[in-house]
Amino acid sequence: MSNPSMNRLLLIAVLAVAYVGVPLLFGGNAYVLGLIVAALTIAGVAVAWALLGNLGGMVSFGHAAFFGVGSYTSAVLAMKLGVPVFAAMLLGGVGAAVSSIAMLPALRLRGPYFALAILAYAHIFQILTTEMTPVTGGAGGLLSIPRFPKILGFDFGEKLGGYLIVLTVVVLAALAYDAIRRSTWGLALKAMHDTEVATRVVGVPSTHLKAAMLVLSAFITGVVGAFNAHFISFLDPDYAFSSGWTVLPIAAAIFGGYRTVWGPVVGALAIYLVDQLLFKPILPHGHQMILGVLLCAMILLSPGGLMPALRRRPVKEGRHAHA
Amino acid sequence: MLTLEGVQVNFGGVQALKSASFSVAEGESIGLVGPNGAGKTTLFNVISGVVRPTAGRLDFRGTSLLKLPEWKRARLGIGRSFQIPRPFGHCTVRENLLVAQRFGAGKKDLRRIDEILDILNLRDKADRDATSELALTEHKALEVGKALATEPSLLLLDEVLAGLETSSKRAFMERLAAVRDRYRLAMVIIEHDIATIAALCPRVLVLNFGQIIADGSPGAVFRDPDVIRSYTGETTLAEAS
Repeated sequence: MSNPSMNRLLLIAVLAVAYVGVPLLFGGNAYVLGLIVAALTIAGVAVAWALLGNLGGMVSFGHAAFFGVGSYTSAVLAMKLGVPVFAAMLLGGVGAAVSSIAMLPALRLRGPYFALAILAYAHIFQILTTEMTPVTGGAGGLLSIPRFPKILGFDFGEKLGGYLIVLTVVVLAALAYDAIRRSTWGLALKAMHDTEVATRVVGVPSTHLKAAMLVLSAFITGVVGAFNAHFISFLDPDYAFSSGWTVLPIAAAIFGGYRTVWGPVVGALAIYLVDQLLFKPILPHGHQMILGVLLCAMILLSPGGLMPALRRRPVKEGRHAHA
Repeated sequence: MLTLEGVQVNFGGVQALKSASFSVAEGESIGLVGPNGAGKTTLFNVISGVVRPTAGRLDFRGTSLLKLPEWKRARLGIGRSFQIPRPFGHCTVRENLLVAQRFGAGKKDLRRIDEILDILNLRDKADRDATSELALTEHKALEVGKALATEPSLLLLDEVLAGLETSSKRAFMERLAAVRDRYRLAMVIIEHDIATIAALCPRVLVLNFGQIIADGSPGAVFRDPDVIRSYTGETTLAEAS
């Protein structure tokens, strides 16, 4: 059987396990299901971060900004304007995408300068959210954010409902990432990494493509942030814009393999669940240290991440956008 | 087709182009020669949009190019190669051409891609990695191929024959002539080899110190005393003394 057919079958099998197997196994275990939801929340941001890094060629230290803007947009729309929660969640993504437009001037910057500029933007958004007290509740945050509704008797506001929502968001984000990667847009983005000027002289509007990746990455992150707001039903600026929403997804993406489509998802599940279920009971204080050591070991032993290592096909240094 | 009038380029205190004026007619082949540092590549960079001129006029088929970015100029029909080949990273030869065609010509025509691969003798390398699995001649051919895939009407070739052995150079020249005739292109070719220029181009421009000092047939231009002085360095010596 050809590789693409094998990959498709494998994907269908994994999705079947995720949509049927996990609810059957852990549907009654709120603690484990809650951990899986948290891991998938990180996975959603990790996919968005990897999309920008791998396709757009931009390393961001500021995805917490999109997460925060998405969560606040959705929460405020649902609380103050009565927008239905699912619609508000999508509009949270739109809000994050709109906020990313303010960051477009940073596209002129490269490497660490871009990363730092985005970090600065993230702080600006956090300050704005804290200061806009009448709308956002200021430093005190928002309480009793509407939860996901019941539909046809199934309560999406419960842990299992939340799991299915965030799983769907992550799967759709990864499929969108894969579709772009395989398109001529993906080819052009890959081509831009080493020689942007050479792509421009053959007609590639490189800045437009990078902007599109930034906006899409922000949208996905915003939707995930919005999901989280309605799932936990509480927000404050320190939490919504926490650097953890940047650092953990980056660690997950690198651990799983940010140059692969599913690597960030696998990485997020691996590092968060292993940390919470295995390391935390052994070392309640400082369990993240073990995670740090694991991440270092992964970078040294398999720079491409877990996914390429599992396939026994190490990613060559400098290769991009290979699933 | 292309008209430049009084084009100047300053890099800080250095004047790379003083006042370049010339035009290129539809289907015309022009050789652009001059000593190192004369401003030849800068001129290509100005036409393709990589460098913005400090002053001057630049029109292509009645449209001013001055405010257009590189990618819009490519879509108008200006294709170019780089002196040092710049294949697209981690793409195959065919993918390089596909990107150029999709964005430069706004379509996907695999028949035309195959035709370009054949004419440039790259068919058997089509699925090789363009950055790591090509010889110099093939890299140069790919540079031409990427420009051709955008379906240009004006092709700017920057020393595509440089560094090639004599036999490879002759074969490459024949391919360039075939490309020009097949696609009815106007071409401007930067090249140091006078015999090559004379064989490919009925018209030659000579650039020295950012200025065009001669414009005419190869025979007339290469007998011009100013051109000879520019190459032998007498002007510089006279100025120095």
